[in-house]
Amino acid sequence: MPKRVSRASSDTAWLAVLLAPALLLPAALILMPALGAFVNGCMQDVTFLPRRWAGLANYARLAHDPAFHQSLRFTVLFIAVSVPLELGCGLLLALLMQAPSPLRGMLRALVLVPWAIPSAIAGRVWELVYNYTWGPANYVIKLTGATAVNWLGSAEGAFLALVIADLWKTAPFVAIILLAGLSAIPERLYRQAEVDGASFIRRFYAITLPLLRPVLVVAVLFRAIDALRIFDLIYILTAGGPGGATASLSLLGYLYFVGGDFGYGSAISTFIFLIALLTALTVVRLGRFGKSLQ
Amino acid sequence: MNRFVSQCLLLFICSAAGFFVPGCSKKETPVVFAVGGAPAEIDFWQTTVKTFEERSGIAVEVLRQPTDTDQRRQNLVTALRASRPTPDLFLMDVAWIAQFAASGWLEPLAPFLENSPLSRNDFFEPVIRTAATYNGTLLALPVYVDAGLLYYRKDLLETYGFSNPPELWDELVAMAHTIIDRESRKGNELTGFVWQGAQYEGLVCTFLEFAGSNGGGLVLSGSSPIVATERNRQALAFMHDVVHREKISPVNTGIDMKEEEVRRAFQRGSAIFERNWPYAYTLHEAEDSPVKGKTGIAALPRFREGTSVSTLGGWHIGLSRFSRHKTRAFSLIVRLLSFEVQKASALEVGWNPGRIDVYRDPTIMEHLPHLLTLRDVFAHAVSRPNVPWYSYLSNVLQRRLNAALTGSMPVDEALNKCEEELRVIVEQYSMRK
Repeated sequence: MPKRVSRASSDTAWLAVLLAPALLLPAALILMPALGAFVNGCMQDVTFLPRRWAGLANYARLAHDPAFHQSLRFTVLFIAVSVPLELGCGLLLALLMQAPSPLRGMLRALVLVPWAIPSAIAGRVWELVYNYTWGPANYVIKLTGATAVNWLGSAEGAFLALVIADLWKTAPFVAIILLAGLSAIPERLYRQAEVDGASFIRRFYAITLPLLRPVLVVAVLFRAIDALRIFDLIYILTAGGPGGATASLSLLGYLYFVGGDFGYGSAISTFIFLIALLTALTVVRLGRFGKSLQ
Repeated sequence: MNRFVSQCLLLFICSAAGFFVPGCSKKETPVVFAVGGAPAEIDFWQTTVKTFEERSGIAVEVLRQPTDTDQRRQNLVTALRASRPTPDLFLMDVAWIAQFAASGWLEPLAPFLENSPLSRNDFFEPVIRTAATYNGTLLALPVYVDAGLLYYRKDLLETYGFSNPPELWDELVAMAHTIIDRESRKGNELTGFVWQGAQYEGLVCTFLEFAGSNGGGLVLSGSSPIVATERNRQALAFMHDVVHREKISPVNTGIDMKEEEVRRAFQRGSAIFERNWPYAYTLHEAEDSPVKGKTGIAALPRFREGTSVSTLGGWHIGLSRFSRHKTRAFSLIVRLLSFEVQKASALEVGWNPGRIDVYRDPTIMEHLPHLLTLRDVFAHAVSRPNVPWYSYLSNVLQRRLNAALTGSMPVDEALNKCEEELRVIVEQYSMRK
């Protein structure tokens, strides 16, 4: 017995040694910067004021900063609208890409194009598309007889414009992840269900969706966190306008860094990090919950 | 395997040595001068610096920055914040000087000026007083100056019997309506007045001009900022109305109208009036420009009870507090601000020199006769608030003014909210020390 105990404890020691690099790396790359940002958020760290400890003053300031509230509202709404749309379109694309057809190879290659284009360039292209006077978007709308949409000039228009551009850009990414999940579902399950007389819709709900759940969780996680920290597309397309209606949290944080208030900028970053962490935990928890039900 | 590792190690050591050796050599480290802007401007700096190197024997490295103004600033803030010794010299937009000054990043220039051929009287007095000086210390010198101007189509105004450009905003609106109506009968669709209204720094500049020309503006001198005044309300309502009621300004004014969008609209020949910085003049008068020879410039119009106001823009040169060779760096400043180089900058890249004597030069008066008009405008240009937290103040103004301009918030409410938020900003950044 004592021999076995010592064997086990030395195993644990080995485990610790072997796991150390895997634990140290995230600690160095994630935990330290996050902690650093939090601590910096506790400082009065403004280039033109003396640097000193400020406690939670910067975090308290978040509570009554109208610009921050506007950004928070926008960002939450953006996630709530764009992520489900991206999942839906991505799933549709994935099913299309999986269905045997002579065009399958070409479709798979084409779908990836928007995702491969750098956001900065995509942003410039969409800027042209949304141009009020001569952009293709309004050209098509006018052809149908409707009045031109003031895409980037109204709060609603700009929101919609960003969602569409983001959808175009990221639905392919979701599709690729889901395609991998779809390919892992054994073909025989479908054949058996078919023998049992299950309709296409029934097969989708009873086989595809539940077996896709783990991959869906990953896709939701990626997309939700990406949408939370969206910056590039907005910086180029609307720069936060009109009237600050599309200033995401990251854009707001950036503006504070440029203006020299690193403390408040860090407080905003920490806030984003906390929401990202909460989102990740919630999504993972929900994913597991689904699994255990099976 | 062992051999592979030792080869890798050797490679590493060699490259590390290669990295450090130049620093060890006897050659002095060069003065680093950070510049950004259009390719032609970078070329201009590079040739100028080369001549300087040949004459003085001082090595200079031109550090190329991004073209975008915000990124240029972020680039400098990062280096200065970390007390980096380079860049030694850099160009600053007027709107940043107070922040850089209050952060203690700028070397006072008066001691250097004493023993140099330069003097502060060589430059526009109000520019030196209101923009280059912070808390009584001279910290920057103007390389080139800018101010808002009215561009107009001489040919169209003449055709419809207007002998002079508008002096009042109402006159501008009336002229625009007349010309648009008559021209549209000929099948020529025109826009009346193009100006900068997108949510960015340019909107603050135009607002200060509209408001200032109505006797309004932004008051920061008291304990709390004042912006929600009747005069400002009238000015902002006018900005809204030219787009939405009079419809003489394009519907996308509040969305994508920045300097270049505005300039291109006028240069295509599709606008009668334009508010822009002086740089547009050279481009409008270029060989392939459709409006060549048809462009007039004048001071901006005013409201009945105000005077014409132009916002001061332009770029200043500053010397880093952290520079390790300030004397050498300053000798480059002396060269860059010499009569010769300033004159060349006007002729070659179309800048408006910070030096006043260049405007009286015979060659300049022959080739760039419009500069004399500009000289008067510059002499009366108004600075944006010279406070270190200007960029936060500007963010609030941009957001609220743009909301009013695009019609997503009533003018009154926008100005009230603006004032409320400005009060918070001022409390945040000026009271605590």
